[in-house]
Amino acid sequence: MQDILSQVINHYDVIDRFLDEPAIALVTDFFQTGRLRVQVVAIINSNPVDIVRESARQLFEEIPELIQPGGNAYTTRRHSMYLRDMDYFLRYASYAILTGNSSVLDERLLAGLRDTFNSLGIPLGVTARSVQLMKERVQQKLSEAQLGNSPFVAEPFDYIIHALSERNV
Amino acid sequence: MSIVTELILNADSEARYPAPKELRIFQDFLKTGEQRIRIARLLAENEQRIVQNGSARFWERVPVTPSNSGNPRKTASCQRDQGWYIRLIAYSILAGSEKPLEEIGTVGIKEMYNSLEIPLRNIVECMRCLKEEAVLLMSPEDAAEVVPYFDLIIRSLS
Repeated sequence: MQDILSQVINHYDVIDRFLDEPAIALVTDFFQTGRLRVQVVAIINSNPVDIVRESARQLFEEIPELIQPGGNAYTTRRHSMYLRDMDYFLRYASYAILTGNSSVLDERLLAGLRDTFNSLGIPLGVTARSVQLMKERVQQKLSEAQLGNSPFVAEPFDYIIHALSERNV
Repeated sequence: MSIVTELILNADSEARYPAPKELRIFQDFLKTGEQRIRIARLLAENEQRIVQNGSARFWERVPVTPSNSGNPRKTASCQRDQGWYIRLIAYSILAGSEKPLEEIGTVGIKEMYNSLEIPLRNIVECMRCLKEEAVLLMSPEDAAEVVPYFDLIIRSLS
């Protein structure tokens, strides 16, 4: 995986160049937004369980058939797997907020994820919805903490949702 | 590979959120961002000058060396390599990690120069000269950031 710094460096190494002004601008932006990124991740870290729990509650409220007998999250085992997966998504989103790009998501979370979920029979749409709910929950926590709403917060969540979404319908 | 990637690989290998200590390291790194960009810029702008002056200094100390043999091809490729090392150091300074320098330029460095039949002792001396020239251009504070990377190259050649 590469964070935005490594990504810029690798790119410029291959073409045998020092960083030019556009690259410096990217790096500068990374350094400048960094403090806010750390604060956002600290908020997520402070209570990931709460974010997962609240979002899961809302998910099962919206789609009650999931937890009814025969539903995809029925049985405690499957219910707990939903919670575990949501925590995965949240954790990788927090990594991506720190690195400033989606490389960690591509390599460590999304590679093969659709196939895995399909073979396990977990509906992708529901999963995407759970990520969306976590995003909203995180954004809400940030505005409660008066940290505003920077675009880089939504980015990784939206990226995951996009990757999970059905294509060529 | 930068300090940020290292931190996240560590956290991920234990399937946990970044720890407070890791976030603090990241924050400290961010505080030095301006300095890092300043040094990287300075090295980029002065690459030619460091290489030229460094070579002159080097030939004074070690007159018998491939780059000073009167063969322009050898001189050019030696100076090209010197420029590359300055570039790699600029990358490493930006990344806050020796990984870019190591991964691109020091792993296997001895074997490579041995097979090219360039005396390692001479390259070491050359790197010292480049270091001295680079340090002349910057404040002691910035120099302290740059010197360890030159020393890393020198160590991996010895």
